[in-house]
Amino acid sequence: MPWKLVLGVCILLPVVMGFVMYACKNKIEPRINRWACVTVFIEAALVWWAVLCCPGDTYTLFSLTEGITLVLRFDGLGRFFAGLIATLWPLTTIYAFGYMAHQPRKGMFYAFFVMSFGVTAGVAMAGNLLTMYVFYELLTLSTLPLVMHEMDTKAVRAGRIYLVMCVGGAAFGFAAMVFFQTTGCSLEFILGGNLSEFTAGKHVTVFMFILGFFGFGVKTAVFPLYFWLISASVAPTPVTALLHAVAVVKAGAFGVIRLIYYVCGTQLLSGTWGQYVVLAAALVTMLFGSSMAVKETHFKRRVAYCTVSNLSYILMGAAMMSPVGMAAAIMHILCHAVSKILAFFCVGAVLETTHLQYIADMEGMGRKMPVTFATYTVAALSLTGIPPLCGFFSKWNLLTAMVEAGNAAGLIAAAVLIICAFLSAIYMLSVMVRAFFMPGKNTGAGIIEADKRMLVPMVIIAVGVILIGIFASDFMTLANNIATGLI
Amino acid sequence: MNTAFMLIMIFLPIVFGAVLPAFGKKHKLRNGFVTAVLAIELALAIYFAVCGGFSMKLWSFTDQISIGFANDGPARFFSLLFAAVWLPVGIYGFVYMKHEGWETRFYSFYMMVEGALIGMACSSNLVSMYIFFEVVTLTSLPMVLHSLKKEAINASLKYLFYSIAGAFMALLGILFLSRYCTTLDFAPGGTLDFAAMAGKEKLLLAIIFIGVMGFGVKAGMYPLHGWLPTAHPVAPSPASAVLSGIITKSGVIGIFRIIYYIVGAQFLRGTWVQYTWLILAMLTIVMGSAMAYREKVFKKRLAYSTVSQVSYVLLGIFMLTGAGVVGSLLHVVFHAAAKVGLFLVAGTVIFATGRTKVEELRGAFKEVPLLGWCFTFVALALIGIPPLSGFVSKWYLATAALSSGLGVICWIAPVVLLVSALLTAGYLLPITVRGFFPGADYAPEKRAPRLKDVHGGAVLGVMHVVFAALSVALGVFSGSLVTVFSNIANTLF
Repeated sequence: MPWKLVLGVCILLPVVMGFVMYACKNKIEPRINRWACVTVFIEAALVWWAVLCCPGDTYTLFSLTEGITLVLRFDGLGRFFAGLIATLWPLTTIYAFGYMAHQPRKGMFYAFFVMSFGVTAGVAMAGNLLTMYVFYELLTLSTLPLVMHEMDTKAVRAGRIYLVMCVGGAAFGFAAMVFFQTTGCSLEFILGGNLSEFTAGKHVTVFMFILGFFGFGVKTAVFPLYFWLISASVAPTPVTALLHAVAVVKAGAFGVIRLIYYVCGTQLLSGTWGQYVVLAAALVTMLFGSSMAVKETHFKRRVAYCTVSNLSYILMGAAMMSPVGMAAAIMHILCHAVSKILAFFCVGAVLETTHLQYIADMEGMGRKMPVTFATYTVAALSLTGIPPLCGFFSKWNLLTAMVEAGNAAGLIAAAVLIICAFLSAIYMLSVMVRAFFMPGKNTGAGIIEADKRMLVPMVIIAVGVILIGIFASDFMTLANNIATGLI
Repeated sequence: MNTAFMLIMIFLPIVFGAVLPAFGKKHKLRNGFVTAVLAIELALAIYFAVCGGFSMKLWSFTDQISIGFANDGPARFFSLLFAAVWLPVGIYGFVYMKHEGWETRFYSFYMMVEGALIGMACSSNLVSMYIFFEVVTLTSLPMVLHSLKKEAINASLKYLFYSIAGAFMALLGILFLSRYCTTLDFAPGGTLDFAAMAGKEKLLLAIIFIGVMGFGVKAGMYPLHGWLPTAHPVAPSPASAVLSGIITKSGVIGIFRIIYYIVGAQFLRGTWVQYTWLILAMLTIVMGSAMAYREKVFKKRLAYSTVSQVSYVLLGIFMLTGAGVVGSLLHVVFHAAAKVGLFLVAGTVIFATGRTKVEELRGAFKEVPLLGWCFTFVALALIGIPPLSGFVSKWYLATAALSSGLGVICWIAPVVLLVSALLTAGYLLPITVRGFFPGADYAPEKRAPRLKDVHGGAVLGVMHVVFAALSVALGVFSGSLVTVFSNIANTLF
């Protein structure tokens, strides 16, 4: 099987189809749903095929010069990430059909929506840091039109912030990458890392690592580089849900894990001040995101702040620089992805159906939109970490990693995680109480349950959240195997 | 067979609670159905109380995290207590809840809470118990919310946030214990892995302290008791009764299990942790009673009384002696019977007359003597007048304190119990006195209706008599209870 071709098609098919859809968007606008649907499902099938069957060989696309090559390779972490996006993208597409039904400029929306699927797959399949960096930049560019979709001042401003921060951040990553390349640290992704000694001096290397961390960390909204995520929540909800809870931000987390565990390696880094800086950044972001979420009164922005906080749970796990920490981070990527996409879907369903945006407006909505808020409850409980939903298990793993570390940093991190979990109970569950139990101001008729095309993916994901919790041991084994290099 | 019965006992009320809205407007049928389920629960609890011990594993999420049930001593005792209180209070509610409305929703969650509580009591490992602990919080929340008034919503959010904060503190404890114990399955005497924890004793003590304080939130332990006097009174009276009398005991179960079945008394004895717990419990006892004494609203007074009384139970547990355990388990039963009885009296007063303040009760018992007599007996039992029930448990607690060898606490604890008993008399007995003897100038605009004139008054009357009789009888026949609890306590040391 020419797997190089298959992987290439995985990346190029949606990109090409996206361009085609963009080029003839006026002609095919009435049938755009069909085009998007077919492309996304074929692509998802292809990616899953590659995830399950592709061998872990290295496929060189082309070399620019000596030592600078674009290569594809599918290892455990990449497969995991690819499988995750290939599962959630089709569901989001169905949701988007419902959500975008009454929105303008559908042609352009679906063109870039499909395109970014291929680019995200490229991030997952990248075999070295340079390749990942290329797809990383492309991801920023291909999702930019989605963020700006509304085309009003707010959206354009959000787009500008997004562009400046992500491209600017990537520049830090680029600097780190060049440094590692020139000091003899290969950019290949090898579990355990390529950094065998500090050839350029310890502190310089650690500093460049931190530069790289913040560079790739921009996409995971690490403090103080978080506000693009908040302002980008003006985008249509399928975009916010998928790109800003799963694809883009998780690509950032994925990038950070790649940098820590696959390029630099944990042997030399763990115990240096670099580890503590990274850990401190994650902890500050967690507390900051949670506190802002409690304060925020706009429903979607509250969920966005929750994302800021939760992404740093992943970074915290990664920053423990141990296989347990990495496994916990991977598990949280999964659990947060499904829970948060569900939360965003619910927010979007309310927003699109009723145009209500603020949390105070949610009073009494639970009785008018029972399915939406039932699924929201599942998401909220999972994000809070109530057993037996999946969020509980990822928090358990993260806490275990902290306890295993056994040092003061681990203890502080555990305490911060507990505080954040409590804050997440406040900001997620209070909405649930308002929706179900407060007498609504919007007593008027005419508020009905959301479109079925939105409800179906929501229910499917809600069931998924429950099932991942019940079968948590399988997913934890998977995460452990990735972290220890068995897959 | 036992496995099936156990699963039925735990999940029957949860599942049927969820399908209760299907009855729609058929209220009689719904009430019959609820009664049947509650009765089945009681029958199963009795069955498990007498049948042999067994354990089962329902599901393993991971190696460490599993749901399992067993019927060891505390499981039998607590599940029987829960089921025995749930049935009469449920029947009382059929009458009472008519004026509150939304009965179907109330009974939905009422049943679910029972299942979750029994699941918590019967859990055979720490994580399983924690899961049901969370479910108890979430399913009891709508009972506090019931009236949907602003104060109810604020109270319920307070309840939710305190409980979740407590639960996460407990989770932190559980997590560390999972690292430093051989297993999270309950075993009398504890499962600490002394080899693994060598050198980490101080850290572990601090973490256990936090974990127990987390469960202590549900038991209304100072300084995290703030939600209790807010949340309990706003619920409908049958809900306040079970919240105060029973659901606070879910925190007690958590603490009891962690201390005696995971950590082991040996590890904690004589440490700063034990002393701090004891001091906090004694503070709570006095503070709760004093606040109750000052409080003007009847149900709120009872809620503060709960804060104080549940800490009697905790005081006994924290003494880490056999006598202390016996005393606290006795007090669990007696306080449950007495506090449910008191809240039902408060409920009937509200139901029949709409009076909520203590001073409005003036003359009420003269008009409705049955209520007055039931209230008085229950109050005397709670104060601890021999031979009524409260006396027995306080006797055990005081003698346990004297023989505990805890230095100065040997003497302080009985004094605290005495002061609190005086305060209890101070906040309960004036109600009786003024209720029966309103004074010569008492000229009510409107007399309270007699119970038999109230629709369903007979049911209310019977339930008052039941709990008053229990408060008396449990004290008089406490010998067999002491035997049962001594058997439990003997396994722990």
